[in-house]
Amino acid sequence: MSEPLFQVKDLHLSLPDMSRKKLFGPAPRIEILKGLTFDLPKGEIVGIVGESGSGKSTLGRVLVRLLWASSGQVLFRGQDIGRLPEDQIKPLRRDLQMIFQDPMSSLNPRHTIGHIVAAPIDRYGFRDSKKLALEALERVGLPGSFAQRYPHELSGGQRQRVGIARAIALNPAFILADEIVSGLDVSSQAQVLTLLQDLAADMNLTIAFISHDLSVIRTVCSQVIVLNHGEIVDAGPCEHVFNAPQSDITRTLIDAIPLPELDDNWLEQVALDDV
Amino acid sequence: MTSEQLNQPDDVRKPTLEVNGLNVALRGGPRLLRDVSLTVYPGEVRALVGESGAGKSMIGKAVLGVLPTSTQITSGKILLHGEDLGQSSPARRRQTVASAASLIPQDPLTALNPSRRIGVQITERLVKRLGWSRADADARALELLERVHIRDPQRVMVSYPHELSGGMRQRVLIAAAFAPRPKLIVADEPTTALDVTVQKQILRLIRELQAESGTAVLFVTHDMGVVAKISQTVTVLFAGKIVESALTRDVFANPQHPYTRALIGATPRYTHPDEPLKPVPPELITNLKREIALADMNGAAHV
Amino acid sequence: MAEATVNAVPSEPRARYRKKNLRLWLSASWLVLVALIAILAPLLAPHNPLEQDLMLERLPPIGFSGYEAGYFLGTDSLGRDVLSRVMYGAQIALTVALVAATAACVFGSALGLLAGYFGGWVDRVVSRLIEIWMAFPPVLFSILLVAVLGAGLTSVILAIAIIDWTRFARVIRAETMVQARMDYVQSARIGGATRLGTLVGEVVPNVLPTIIALLSLEMGVAVIVEAILSFVNLSISSDSPTWGGMIAEGRATIHFAWWVLVVPLVVLFLTVLSFSQLGEGLKDQFDPLAR
Repeated sequence: MSEPLFQVKDLHLSLPDMSRKKLFGPAPRIEILKGLTFDLPKGEIVGIVGESGSGKSTLGRVLVRLLWASSGQVLFRGQDIGRLPEDQIKPLRRDLQMIFQDPMSSLNPRHTIGHIVAAPIDRYGFRDSKKLALEALERVGLPGSFAQRYPHELSGGQRQRVGIARAIALNPAFILADEIVSGLDVSSQAQVLTLLQDLAADMNLTIAFISHDLSVIRTVCSQVIVLNHGEIVDAGPCEHVFNAPQSDITRTLIDAIPLPELDDNWLEQVALDDV
Repeated sequence: MTSEQLNQPDDVRKPTLEVNGLNVALRGGPRLLRDVSLTVYPGEVRALVGESGAGKSMIGKAVLGVLPTSTQITSGKILLHGEDLGQSSPARRRQTVASAASLIPQDPLTALNPSRRIGVQITERLVKRLGWSRADADARALELLERVHIRDPQRVMVSYPHELSGGMRQRVLIAAAFAPRPKLIVADEPTTALDVTVQKQILRLIRELQAESGTAVLFVTHDMGVVAKISQTVTVLFAGKIVESALTRDVFANPQHPYTRALIGATPRYTHPDEPLKPVPPELITNLKREIALADMNGAAHV
Repeated sequence: MAEATVNAVPSEPRARYRKKNLRLWLSASWLVLVALIAILAPLLAPHNPLEQDLMLERLPPIGFSGYEAGYFLGTDSLGRDVLSRVMYGAQIALTVALVAATAACVFGSALGLLAGYFGGWVDRVVSRLIEIWMAFPPVLFSILLVAVLGAGLTSVILAIAIIDWTRFARVIRAETMVQARMDYVQSARIGGATRLGTLVGEVVPNVLPTIIALLSLEMGVAVIVEAILSFVNLSISSDSPTWGGMIAEGRATIHFAWWVLVVPLVVLFLTVLSFSQLGEGLKDQFDPLAR
């Protein structure tokens, strides 16, 4: 068993709360991640699930270093990248790629698809960026003619595939998939997820798959981490977590999923708390 | 609500909503709803399900009279609580809709006016449009706020939207929708933007309130799971056309149309993790589009 | 996102498209005409704009009784040809429009982009600066500046640029803040771009349509401000005709020589209108999403 790609130890992250900032002095900080410890094994798709405010997106952004850790260790291939200065992160960025949630805002509306996919390749100094970009587009099932088109000419599912092409073009070690199917119709969802699974297997990718939808996670991921208010409440192989959840939170999340099957008692199971 | 009750003949139970051959199109453009017909009885929860662009929201908007100005009804009849909305004057139509129908909107953030107190926003329609006294309206608002499990209804009545959490706002919207004792509620994807645990609570609330009051609900959603849990009848839409319409239990036990089957199949289920995801086959979509285009050309006297 | 549905949103119904284009073409045509006249004034103007002939004072324009051949739009109270003066006046107007507006635009947009993109102390400093600057009443400020700097074309241009850059800065800052939060900006950073590189390569192209619309609008404003300044005699000091100056002079003779006032007024109005419409039209043209 080789070393995990990521080893996170006691990760804390707090951000300044600008709404409570007084005129002079720093703003009080809110703790968003409260001491997370987990591993991301190589070549696996790990789900990160939680409701809004659980910190899952924030965690994702720390992994690709769009945010700095406040304390704790984030070991990527043994190196702590949590608070590494920007110039030292830059060479690593090639291996830390990301696919975004919103197919509309993740592609620059003024650039052609070809430019969008080729740009990161260019920046890392590869010369055949055009060829590599076309290859990436082909791999996600988009014909080369799409390279000339603009994002607004594509459907949501196609735009997400462009996002995937952009992420895999540099053959990264790790991809963060942040709610990548949440904004898609169910028919596009299945296409994108199948594509992701195939690519992960072909290219031996390690993927952190953030989602609020446990059903999607169960289908795509081998392991899952359940977050609640910045803490890990459950983690492990999907089979274990789903069949024998450790935490009530996980249980509630699982029970709340509306399966496309008839169940007359389903609605009664939830408690209506006062708000 | 059993299937026998739903199948009772018309003279025993008058339908709350009847839509006949409704066609809606963009002005000077293509059709968005194609010959939509459906009937909803008192107390019935009917799901309108489809993917984006299928027209499921359009039906509700046509009934409520809030279609976007870029669109128009080109033909068809809408009978709300027995009244033919097409034959009434605009003023009469607005009055009927105001007294007989309500909307639960999708986004709790933007659906409430940030500069007015909650209480006023709930009672305004009752007082101004339906002639209730201020005292009756306030009492009704308080009653409903309690019914949706809001802890301190008095305080919420005088609060502004930004002082409430997202979950509270959604419940306020539900209370507001049920306040005028409408015959029909159009719920336009009311849980799409919510966390899954909150969604379950909201679904339960809507179901309880409608069962108590006998209100019919048109529940618009894209999620087949939600359809299975909340509705008694379901209408499946594709490109503005109804492809299947039946009792929910029948549709899930034995879906007739390939598109319905595909929608159910494409919805991931955590109970069957080893089943591969089944995307909707592109040929199915192409065939459907072709069928619709042909039907448009042949029958298209309306547009 | 309508992968599964038959009807894509149709392209703009033809009538609307024609109207939009008309606006662009009409305003562009007028401005091109004015520009040509300004550049070719020495060749095109029928008379010397400064030449006075008291024998020919207050002649009416063509079509009215008393019209004198060759003085198509009449003469003013000093016998100077109105048409020629309007033509030379265009030189001043357009010079001010182009130079002053561009200067305000470049300076203001740059600050707006930096403030909106980098945030933090950069934004705080720039925002404070804008607030303080905008606290001065603009017309008073411009009069003050010109009085201090002395009358003259350079002073007018400087005054406009110094005062109006804040208009750009505020709007561009807001627009940049919106664009900077977009996922494609984050994506560029993940793809290895530098912060500055991302600003220039990803954000600026999306803010450009707004900048262009504002620039065109600002040109119209510059023309008006110059006209106001020359109306109160704080613009160029020489005899050179300016539209504002002509309007000022024309006021005195409005009852018996209305054309002295009306002609420059109409030309001024059409020019300023064209600038604002041009901005709108160009903005739409540049935006691939609106195509």
